[in-house]
Amino acid sequence: MTALRAVHLQRRPRVRPWQLVAVPVASIAAGLAVGAVFLTLTGHDPTMVYPAMLSAAFTTWFGFTDTLASATPLIGTGLAAAVAFRFGLYNIGAEGQLYAGAIAASGVALALGEAVPAPAAVTALLLAGVAGGMLWIAVPAAARAWLGTSEIITTLLLNYVALYWMRYLIFGSTSFWRDPTSTNFPQGKPIPASAELAELGLTRVHLGLGVAVLAAVLVTLVLNRTRLGFHLRVYGDSEAAASYAGINVRRLVLAVLLASGALAGLAGAGEIGGRAHALDPQGLALGLGYAGIIVAALARYNPLAVVLVAVLLGGVRNAGTALQSLPGGRVPIAISTMLEGAILLFTLGGELFIRYRLRFGRGQGAATAEDLESVPVASPAEPTTR
Amino acid sequence: MNDSAIVLTLAAAVAAGTPLALAALGELLTERAGVLNLGVEGMMLLGAVTAFLVGDATADPWLGLVTGMLTGGALAAVHAFLSVTMRANQIVAGLALVIFGTGLSTFLGQPVEGRPLTARITTAAVPVLADIPVAGRILFQQDLVVYATWALVLAATFYLTRTRAGLSLRAVGESPATADAMGVRVAATRYAHTIAGGLLAGAGGAYLILARVPSWSQAATTNGVGWIALALVVFSSWRPLRLLAGAYLFGAALRANFALQAAGVRGIPAEVLALLPYLLTIAVMIGLSFSDLRRRAGAPAALGLPYVRDER
Repeated sequence: MTALRAVHLQRRPRVRPWQLVAVPVASIAAGLAVGAVFLTLTGHDPTMVYPAMLSAAFTTWFGFTDTLASATPLIGTGLAAAVAFRFGLYNIGAEGQLYAGAIAASGVALALGEAVPAPAAVTALLLAGVAGGMLWIAVPAAARAWLGTSEIITTLLLNYVALYWMRYLIFGSTSFWRDPTSTNFPQGKPIPASAELAELGLTRVHLGLGVAVLAAVLVTLVLNRTRLGFHLRVYGDSEAAASYAGINVRRLVLAVLLASGALAGLAGAGEIGGRAHALDPQGLALGLGYAGIIVAALARYNPLAVVLVAVLLGGVRNAGTALQSLPGGRVPIAISTMLEGAILLFTLGGELFIRYRLRFGRGQGAATAEDLESVPVASPAEPTTR
Repeated sequence: MNDSAIVLTLAAAVAAGTPLALAALGELLTERAGVLNLGVEGMMLLGAVTAFLVGDATADPWLGLVTGMLTGGALAAVHAFLSVTMRANQIVAGLALVIFGTGLSTFLGQPVEGRPLTARITTAAVPVLADIPVAGRILFQQDLVVYATWALVLAATFYLTRTRAGLSLRAVGESPATADAMGVRVAATRYAHTIAGGLLAGAGGAYLILARVPSWSQAATTNGVGWIALALVVFSSWRPLRLLAGAYLFGAALRANFALQAAGVRGIPAEVLALLPYLLTIAVMIGLSFSDLRRRAGAPAALGLPYVRDER
């Protein structure tokens, strides 16, 4: 303890841009190091696995385009988390909202049928996804806004409800979503070709990527250039200040949570229209919603950074799948999830070095008045008092 | 009478509520110290998979239980480090724990996925008491972990209300600055109780695999029990005895499919039965908030907030 006492933490007067990049990069490196330990312990060779992951994810054309396709839903769920977490509203139900969006999108696409021309069908599919996601978060959002019920547990538990509901539609019943010709192994009914999102050449990259990037730009514009965005930033800094300024806090809470659900639902619609082309419970339940939280945290809740981080994590996930075909000992696919978790843990720890600097030697650790006047860029990662 | 459907359902509810009670009691201690650890699900999963691996290798379920506790505690130590020392956002740190724990347990468990576990914690009926009609069947024909859970709940109640250390703990959770001024070591208290919470969550996960679920399957072992445990802490107003009662209530909900079948209800799809406990928990959470008084009653005032002596 004595040795530790000699180190003090001092708030940084301001954050330099390179620190914002250095900490995530170091976190990823540290996460990979932890992954290497577990790989070695389970009899795999990290010096084989990591290069294989890199080439599967980024350094080949097909690998990279697959990575972009994997990143597409992560942009949506990453935005969903970023929008909410940034303001101290912890929607951890993006997973369920994504399923609800997928159910709504496939339902609408199936109901419209082949007759509807492609642009209208695609628009309807995407809007249905948005509506499905919003519907799925409506109860937790309303309970948070009017009753103050913590949204954390309610949104999370609805993930399980959505998962079982989706399974019921395909495996447990002969619902509208289920393909009636699939008797032995139940599958979703394929959506009409007019509702499918266009793909780029022979790759798996689809229109959903463009939609997701557009959503990121839109979120940035709303947050930085509109009155709503200004109100939100006031609310994010201090709920009390927002109340005293006459801002309708209840409406903000609703708006943030509904937008968050909408973005996750949009990701679900993109998966239906661009990848699965049918309601596919197995193919959708990949933890995309949970991974969105990691994306958002690594991006420090910045919507545009979400896009970049999503591509990075999309690569990790894509590589995890590709590792299955690696010769010489199968590496469990869960390596991706484990790496994601480890990277997030290090990012959170690294946050300290963005906000504080270490001071060695005995002395007053207290921040000087000058330091406090220019407190670093309001860090969204700091907990807010309720 | 002893084998009537209702008695068997209640006995099953006690067994199903035990992992919940253990994990929730751990979280209660953590939260009383002012640390919010949302990573219960992750700690339970890691506890379960390591308990399985050791129980399977040594054929000793108790060694498995101890291993599960230790790995749960180790993961909690990571959370304590992030929350207390690194002052990270505790909500996101807890979520990271869930994601890391899920990934790691799937990774470690992949070679044994679906393998049944033969080394199991078996029923140990209490002599004499087990022969009491009805109550004996429900309460005293259980295993040692069920009885140990009661002892832990009683000990926790005594600790929180009757001991100096327990009162210091509550001070740390309510007002760390005051506790600090009183000479209580805030960081050490928070570390200790966060790790204790992890030990209990690990025990809950280990118990699931050693006594309840017949074979290891990442997807089916905890299945959200860790999240229900978090809701249970709120439901209990941070009081151990209420927590135990709540755990058995939720345990009954988790066994709702058996109860409904016993009651002669047929034709409800398995998926619908499976989602009922989650809906019930959500309804309870929202219901609790209707009464403003009860919502805040018992919640440690400094829950989720890092304590920095210099920055007040």
